[in-house]
Parts: sequence; structure tokens; C-alpha cells
Amino acid sequence: MPVVLLSCYPAGPEYVEDVDVTYTTYDQKFDFQSRGTYAMPDKIVVDVEIEDGDTTYIYMKDVFATPILAAIDDNMKANGWAKVGLAGTPDVVVTPAGISSTTYFYSYWYDWWYGGWYGGWGWYYPPYYTVSSYTTGSMIITMADPNVGTDNPINQSQTAWIAVGNGLFSGAYDISRVTKAIDEAFDQSPYLKLN
Amino acid sequence: MKKLLSIFAITLVTYGALNAQSNFTVSYSMGFAAGDLADFISQASFRGATMEFRKMVQPNIGVGLTFGWNVFYEELSRESYTVGASTLTGKQFRYSNNFPMLLGGNYYFSPGEKFNPFVGFGVGVIYTRRNTDMNLYTLEQEAWNFAIQPEVGFLYSVTDGAALFVSGRFNQGFKAGNELDADQSYFTLNVGFSFLNN
Repeated sequence: MPVVLLSCYPAGPEYVEDVDVTYTTYDQKFDFQSRGTYAMPDKIVVDVEIEDGDTTYIYMKDVFATPILAAIDDNMKANGWAKVGLAGTPDVVVTPAGISSTTYFYSYWYDWWYGGWYGGWGWYYPPYYTVSSYTTGSMIITMADPNVGTDNPINQSQTAWIAVGNGLFSGAYDISRVTKAIDEAFDQSPYLKLN
Repeated sequence: MKKLLSIFAITLVTYGALNAQSNFTVSYSMGFAAGDLADFISQASFRGATMEFRKMVQPNIGVGLTFGWNVFYEELSRESYTVGASTLTGKQFRYSNNFPMLLGGNYYFSPGEKFNPFVGFGVGVIYTRRNTDMNLYTLEQEAWNFAIQPEVGFLYSVTDGAALFVSGRFNQGFKAGNELDADQSYFTLNVGFSFLNN
């Protein structure tokens, strides 16, 4: 009977989208309403390489980055923000970044050898290695006021808003999961709404 | 673990007395949550089973052990949860595994008759394991609830050695430990067979 019962144990998540989460947090002292313009880079950093002290950014391919950046622009515009270039002294800068992380499960059977005395025969048991892994990806968007950096002891602008969309990589590169997370991030952050 | 061991010991002692009149019941158990459990999972459970053994100490009184397992499950739709300045949106998958383990006694109104209604009462523990899954993480909360279990039901003989078993039980697990801060209770409807050993 336990076998029968196990076979009908609740299924849990069935699709990769089922484990997608969107997280946002903000600086409650930051006055979003007194700002109105933003600047955003036209590339998304996915990795950083440091070689001999030189830092190189690795960027997301345009085919993925373009819809993501467009989704952020659409949401900012819908919330009443105006996009300007860096030269236009924006009130805030919005910086998107993508990271991935892979977790490996790894197990193996020990090699073993049977000696005995029968003519010195031995059997080596082939070691079996089983490896499985899952990869999660996170889309991180931060918003900060570049103009308040000078008010800060370490000359950095504190982040006013962070949004993280996290999910499992499915291999299908379905960018709509990311754009959906961006929409959700803005939906759950009503304080960003200026209009 | 200590509790499991003592229950195991009682099982052995009781099993030693099997040669006397006794019955063994296996049933399918449907669960309907109450109280705190219903707040956590509102859906009824159709995954469960119980096993019980009763030794007849009087023609109309049986005592023995009851074991059960009921799994409650609910998939919540995508919702936002806000704490302070932080908001998290995602799907929650909720599970509650409940294992009642009780010493019980039944009073049979019509022993030997084809239709034999009974009332019962059990005292013991319910092991509760509650999981809240979100993203790739689970929040696991456990409790060993001291429990009582009133029961009403009937046996309907189909052959000399077997009877249809139908019962309703209320599993009342009192608050225990500090991981779950309320009673864990649910009603079950059990349908199965009793095997009589005369």
C-alpha cells in the first residue's frame, strides 16, 4: 500500500515557470517622487573578467538583451519616467545585469579491488560517477541616484531600488520569462509610479 | 525517536496477544483540514491511509493501535508577499504530512451481528511535517502533537472473516514545539476492510 500511495504523492512544481520568483526591495528614505529622469546603458553585463588588473565586461547577446532593455524602458515610461542620456544629468541610473549559477550534485561508487589468493586475480570494479546539475539565472536591476554619491563617505550612490528575477534555466531561452519578471517587479513596486 | 520506539514496543506486546479474538483494519482515508491546518491548506486531502489493530478484551470492547498517514497539498497561484520594503512574488507549493499514531479503544454495539456500529477513542501523537516550497527552497516545520482521536463508525460483515469498515475520525493534535504555533487538526473519513480473527 505505501508503494501505491507514493505513486500518488502530490506532484509539486511541474513547469520551470512554477519556480520563477520576482523579488524587489527599496530604500524607504529615498524620495522617488522628486525624481523624473533616468538613464540606462544599452548593454547588459553578464560577467566580469579581471586579467592583470584590467577589468573587461562580458555583455549579453543583443538578441536577448534588446527585449529585456525594451521591457525596462516600457515599464519606466508607463510609470512616468523620462529617459535621458548620461549627458542629460539623469535623476537616477538604472543598471541591469544578469548572472547565472550552477549547482552540481555529484556522487560515485568507490573503486574496490578484490585480491584473494586465487592466482592473484583481482577485479577492479569500474567506478560509476553520477553527476547532475541545475542552473539558475538571475536578472538584477538596480536603480540609484548618481548625484548623491558626493554626500556619501565612500563616494558611492546607495541603491534606491533592487529587483531580482530568479528562475531555473530551461535550455529554451524563453526571454518572456525575464520580461514577465520585469513587469512583475514594477507591478509590485508602486512607489516607482510618478504619474 | 523515543516515541517511535515506545510505540514499536507496544506494537510487539500487542501483537503477542494476536491469538485471541482480534481484528485488523486497513482503510483509505480522506482528510478535511480544520483550524490552523485549514488556514494553511484549504483543499481536502484524498491521499491517505490508516491501519489499525484491535484485540477484543471483552466481547464488545477492543483495544489496540491506530496508524495513519494523510497528505494535504495545495498549489497556490502566483502571489506577492510583502515584508517591510521587500516584496517577493511567486508560486507556493504547500504540503502537510500528518502521521497519527495512537493507542485506542473501541466499543462495539452489536458484536457478532452483520451490522456492528462502534464508537472509539484514541490517545497518542500526530507527527506533522509542513513544507512550504517556493522557488528552489522549502521551509520545513515539524511538530509532535499530543493527540486525541474520537471516532464513530460501523462494521458490515461481508464474509465470516471480513467486514466493510466505515468510520469518521477527528484527529485533534494539540500545539507542540515552537515550529508550528497552533493545533494541527483534521477530520477523516475512512473506508476499508476489517479482517476478523475469531
